[in-house]
Amino acid sequence: MKEDIRERVKRVLREKFTDSTKQLEIKDDTPLFGIGVGVDSVATLEFVIALENEFQISIDEGEIKPQILATVDTISEFIATHFLKK
Amino acid sequence: MNTIPELLSETVAKHKNRIAIVEEGKKVSYLELQSMVNSLSSYLTSLGVKPGDRVAILLPNSIEFIAGFFSTVNIGAISVPINPSYGEEEIRFYISHSMAKLILTEERLSKTVDKLKGPESKVVVVKGGERGLFIFEEEKKNSLRVSINPHDEAIYLYSTGSTGKPKRVSRTHLNIIALANNHTETIGWSEEDRILLSIPMSHTYGFGNFISAIKAGACIYTVEGFNRRKIFDLIERERITVFPAVPFMLEALANTPFPRPIDFSSLKFVISAGAPLSKETFERFFKRFQIPPRQLYGSTETGVIAINLSKDIENRFSSVGQPVKNVEVKIFREDGSQADIGEIGEIAVKSPSMTTGYHDLPEETQRSFRNGYYFTGDLGKIDEDGYIYIVGRKKLFINISGNKVDPQEVENVISRHPKVREVAVVGIRERDEKEAVKAVIVPKEKIEAGEIYEFCRGKISDFKIPRIIEFREKLPKSPTGKVLREKLR
Repeated sequence: MKEDIRERVKRVLREKFTDSTKQLEIKDDTPLFGIGVGVDSVATLEFVIALENEFQISIDEGEIKPQILATVDTISEFIATHFLKK
Repeated sequence: MNTIPELLSETVAKHKNRIAIVEEGKKVSYLELQSMVNSLSSYLTSLGVKPGDRVAILLPNSIEFIAGFFSTVNIGAISVPINPSYGEEEIRFYISHSMAKLILTEERLSKTVDKLKGPESKVVVVKGGERGLFIFEEEKKNSLRVSINPHDEAIYLYSTGSTGKPKRVSRTHLNIIALANNHTETIGWSEEDRILLSIPMSHTYGFGNFISAIKAGACIYTVEGFNRRKIFDLIERERITVFPAVPFMLEALANTPFPRPIDFSSLKFVISAGAPLSKETFERFFKRFQIPPRQLYGSTETGVIAINLSKDIENRFSSVGQPVKNVEVKIFREDGSQADIGEIGEIAVKSPSMTTGYHDLPEETQRSFRNGYYFTGDLGKIDEDGYIYIVGRKKLFINISGNKVDPQEVENVISRHPKVREVAVVGIRERDEKEAVKAVIVPKEKIEAGEIYEFCRGKISDFKIPRIIEFREKLPKSPTGKVLREKLR
């Protein structure tokens, strides 16, 4: 289940941040600040909307903290804990 | 009516019992707003604020922002709205550059402001904390009688340029009255309108909508920041009629999944400004909510310039419309002659609401203000029906979802990092045509991108921090040493 979430998060990242991810292998613990996620509120919200559409969930942008968007692992954990049954 | 206090008084006289502002369920009538303004004006006077003094308004969209603005201009002082989401260095610059004698702010920022302000500036907390705005009622004195000339300065806003620092733009009472008149008369706002302001009132776009709403006697719903579900809820529940936005907000709303259809039928106008509206965003928003976004064009230097009120909006969505009342727009060629219909040139504006130049920047002023026109730096054309189309820009700034970024300002910050030898900042277009900030850095020693993010954080606004960082051994330069920015994208 968690592996599936991670793969789907990685797919969203590749689709949303094409320019900055094209040269990069995204691992579970790759710091996502390095590829532009969460650097600013615009990038953060774009990513959150993409996750909402991918997982058909509803995330309040006010609750998204930088530590949640730190890596594929932290995002997957957040999604698994808050929205999907483990 | 030639001054801003007169504008408010006239609206209060006509609509005193109507609701002027709604914020998180709190409602303030026009009469109550006037009372708050009188009270706070008296208090500011008691603190020594005199006509011509500058008062910074470091507040989010709120009742207190609106009361603070009117109180300042009510006593002949000059208001300096500052976006509280700015970084510390930016706030310090605005306070210092405007020589603010007093800063109106909120509790959560008061410690930061104390640290950033000069020793002679006072700080007054009007939002949050123990002492909110309403308490000033106790200190109300006799109504103030300050003589204000319509040509007196009323507000300083700052325009992003390519000079490394924002440029100060001063507008008079008469300029602002003209702005409100031109805007409301063109669009036809009335006291029946309910306007949702999520875009910051501390910037020209939000400010123009706010002052026009007051002129019309409309009701302003203030929202701090952009929260999609709050916006959905307010539009639907409060039957909002006007929603000014930037394309990024429209795109986010159109793409947000929601378990049921949203009712946007109360909306008469969804306005898009600050950045180009793409066909994809227009179509998605229109299809989902059955209301077409209409582009508006404005600038800090002039206020609102044009709006697209076309009945054939589906075929004309890409135009920023025709000039608003009393505003003239022309296209000029490089040689200074006027362009023909459909010919691309620089867009120039003549408006009774425009400033006369930049503070202490004679060269910039001379370049941008000529023969009574403000030369916008935008490239565009006008069609046979008078519709304006923007096709590019001459100025070297980056547009991040409506926020303007001066590359030199970002370079100035990054270059102070001890491991950075050289840096150049450019805007790049991502897959969906939106711009992003990219920094190309020549390091002195090994450095990670994360160190640059951390170094920038808090110093400048988050949207200015480069989303993409590339390290190179050297920057491409011309024989004269000028960085060849086109080779960095």
